[in-house]
Amino acid sequence: MGGYVCRRLISAIGVMAVVGVFIFLLLRLVPGDAAAMMAGNNATPQEVAGIREQLGLNEPLTVQFVQWALGILSGNLGSSIFAGLPVLTLVSQRIEPTISLSILTMIVSVTGGICFGIFAAWRAGGFVDRMLTAFSAVGYSVPVFVVGYFLTYCFSLGTRWLPVQGYVSIGQGLAPWFVHLVLPTVALSLSYIAFIARITRASMLEVLSEDYMRTAAAKGASTYAMLFHYALKNAAAPILTVIGLSFAYLIGGVVITETVFNLPGIGRLVVDAINNRDYPVIQGVLILVSGLYVLINLAVDLAYRLVDPRIRY
Amino acid sequence: MTISRRNLVKGGAAGAAFSVPSILRGQTAPSAKRTVKMQNGNITNFDPYSNSTYHTVDHGLAIYDMLFALDSKFTPQPQMVGKWRVSEDKKTYTFELRDGLGFHDGTSVTAADCVASIRRWGQTASGKLVMERTRDVSKKDDKTFTVALREPLELLVDQMASSTSYLLFIMREKDADRPPTQPVTTHIGSGPFKFNEALFRPGVRYIYDRNEKYVPRQESPSGLAGGKIVKVDRANWESLNDVQTALAALQAGELDFVSDPLAEFYPMIENDPNLVLEDLHKSGDNYYLGINFLQKPFDNVKARQALLHLVDQDAYMRVLNPNPKYNRPITSLFGTDTPYVNDVNTGWYKKGGDPEKAKQLLKEAGYAGEKVIILQPANWLQGSNVAQLLALTLRNIGVNTELAPSNWAALVERLSNKGGVESGGWSIFPTSAIDIGFGAPLSAEQLVMNGTARGWRKNDEYEALRAQWADSALEERKVLARKMQSLWWDTVGFVFLGQTITPIARRKTLTGLISYPALLPMWNMQQGA
Repeated sequence: MGGYVCRRLISAIGVMAVVGVFIFLLLRLVPGDAAAMMAGNNATPQEVAGIREQLGLNEPLTVQFVQWALGILSGNLGSSIFAGLPVLTLVSQRIEPTISLSILTMIVSVTGGICFGIFAAWRAGGFVDRMLTAFSAVGYSVPVFVVGYFLTYCFSLGTRWLPVQGYVSIGQGLAPWFVHLVLPTVALSLSYIAFIARITRASMLEVLSEDYMRTAAAKGASTYAMLFHYALKNAAAPILTVIGLSFAYLIGGVVITETVFNLPGIGRLVVDAINNRDYPVIQGVLILVSGLYVLINLAVDLAYRLVDPRIRY
Repeated sequence: MTISRRNLVKGGAAGAAFSVPSILRGQTAPSAKRTVKMQNGNITNFDPYSNSTYHTVDHGLAIYDMLFALDSKFTPQPQMVGKWRVSEDKKTYTFELRDGLGFHDGTSVTAADCVASIRRWGQTASGKLVMERTRDVSKKDDKTFTVALREPLELLVDQMASSTSYLLFIMREKDADRPPTQPVTTHIGSGPFKFNEALFRPGVRYIYDRNEKYVPRQESPSGLAGGKIVKVDRANWESLNDVQTALAALQAGELDFVSDPLAEFYPMIENDPNLVLEDLHKSGDNYYLGINFLQKPFDNVKARQALLHLVDQDAYMRVLNPNPKYNRPITSLFGTDTPYVNDVNTGWYKKGGDPEKAKQLLKEAGYAGEKVIILQPANWLQGSNVAQLLALTLRNIGVNTELAPSNWAALVERLSNKGGVESGGWSIFPTSAIDIGFGAPLSAEQLVMNGTARGWRKNDEYEALRAQWADSALEERKVLARKMQSLWWDTVGFVFLGQTITPIARRKTLTGLISYPALLPMWNMQQGA
């Protein structure tokens, strides 16, 4: 297993290199001028040219790429053209809301989705199952911003139970931190609960129809033992895959959720950077996110081994 | 040992209460009544000499001070300057700083700081004219400096006080001693607010604390001039991108001020007893179409005149703001509220537009179906809507029109392409500028016709008149304005789409906001009960 992890990590370096080249070229091919954005609307072409020169944006692409790549190899992701701060500093300022939202969303989604899916499979064709079908349709089809505005209307403007927007660091108190994340978490979780529940249901239905489950029932195993001890364990591999994919897709939802609820996270950092063509920030964040995806995929692959000892690497 | 559920809840509550680190609990944050929470845009560049967008200037107004500033009637008034005089030959201006001026780092403001700042400002579009006429800017002593001119310049003080584009803010000599293309990285000024570096989060939050050592002038506040008395301890400027969320936060009392509520939300704000929709800026945004003078079909003046006659300003204003209360048509090159507004050569204006006349002019221009590319700024709602309406009306009169949607960053880059539409060029783009800027032909890019502005419009006769502006008294400038306007509409430097006023939304408890076109000075405002 150790060898497998090493091999995967080494191959991740190649993946990151390809991602780096791709991101760099993509950003340069997309129209847009950081110097013009920095100079503002009233700037003359000469002023824009001066800033472009100052920022080194007139250098040949190969020179810019080599400088950036050498920086990364030495642990320096560069500095924001606009904020003037190192990308790692910006990321560290913004990472907490994103991690908080992501973790809470995954806890709610995984717990809710698996429980919902198990019960729907257990009572296939019944009320809970039909509820799941309806919930899935809603969860998939209603965009997160619509859910967000609806929740805001009901629980912030209507009842005044929860704040409309903003983020309070966990360092300033657990309660205000949690209160500010309730609505974003619920809004973002809905589609993931639906997704995980559907997969869990399908996987569980397949396992529940196996001979060994019938045997377990005949031997008098309790419903709890059958569902959670025998069936869930055998149905876990596809569910793990879905959870891993959900983590990967989460960043897209996080961007919108952070905008709707004014959370100062990584998503908003990237969107602002894209709008301003702040190349070092976009490149740095995307490299970090890509690395995170690689690690999540590796973690999911390793988790297969935990739920199914027959798997060997 | 067993843990009961009740004990667990108790423990959780205690943990939550004590999870605030002591260092944070020990901080003395201003009370809610002494803090104003404002939604405003993102500051992408903090240096008001390298970027003249409103948010950068608002930042400058908070942390820097000016030698002169315009009052509510746009008359220059001394601000940092205590006394000043002009030599008999009107070539030498001597300025003496008033007492009590100090930077946020504790050092005093000196004449050397002013000299360096004026020199830096002189490298911007706003200060270029002054520096071209200036022989020398030098300090006489710590509090006195002179501006020696090659020839008299009637508008010297007006230019120093101007609030259009790049304002003359006074920085420390070591900050000002660099070209504007190298933005300052510190936020040290001598203004009424201090920038809170510790709580600053780029793109998220900008915190301005009251500068307790600031010595305001004795006069009442008026425009950007007079006594800058800060009546709150902190202005918390949130960059909140989503207007709907911002307005919900305003309703819930989480914000006190929203700078740019969308027109569709005006009825909601007007119906909320706790909120006010206020025409704070008292000046509208003038929307207009920039035209590419180098490429077909608009290299031909007849085609540009066709565009001028085609536009139905009422229709565009309805697109910009459905409530007619906030809209006005514009026919004068000098806007609607500047001293130079006149009606010379405005016969082209017709309610509803004149598509038949536009068709005839296009025919006279020899239009042969050349493709017209309209740049559509997809991340600027108003500009995007205007572009779509324009495309529709042009197609209706038989123009081969194509929209080119992109975000503003890409649009700005494309604007510099002088090539034809097949090689990435462009024909028309929508934009806007604040009305007061149309009264400043020396610094407003939209009033330049020397071939360097966006669209490369050119008229030498107009430029010759514009060159006389700086040496003319007010009445002479009014005469010049009439002549310039006549030439402008003959040439059709751009096409007006109309003016719309954007009110701000605030909670009724927030009062005392200074009214000034486009800008947001934060002194004088206060929180009520």
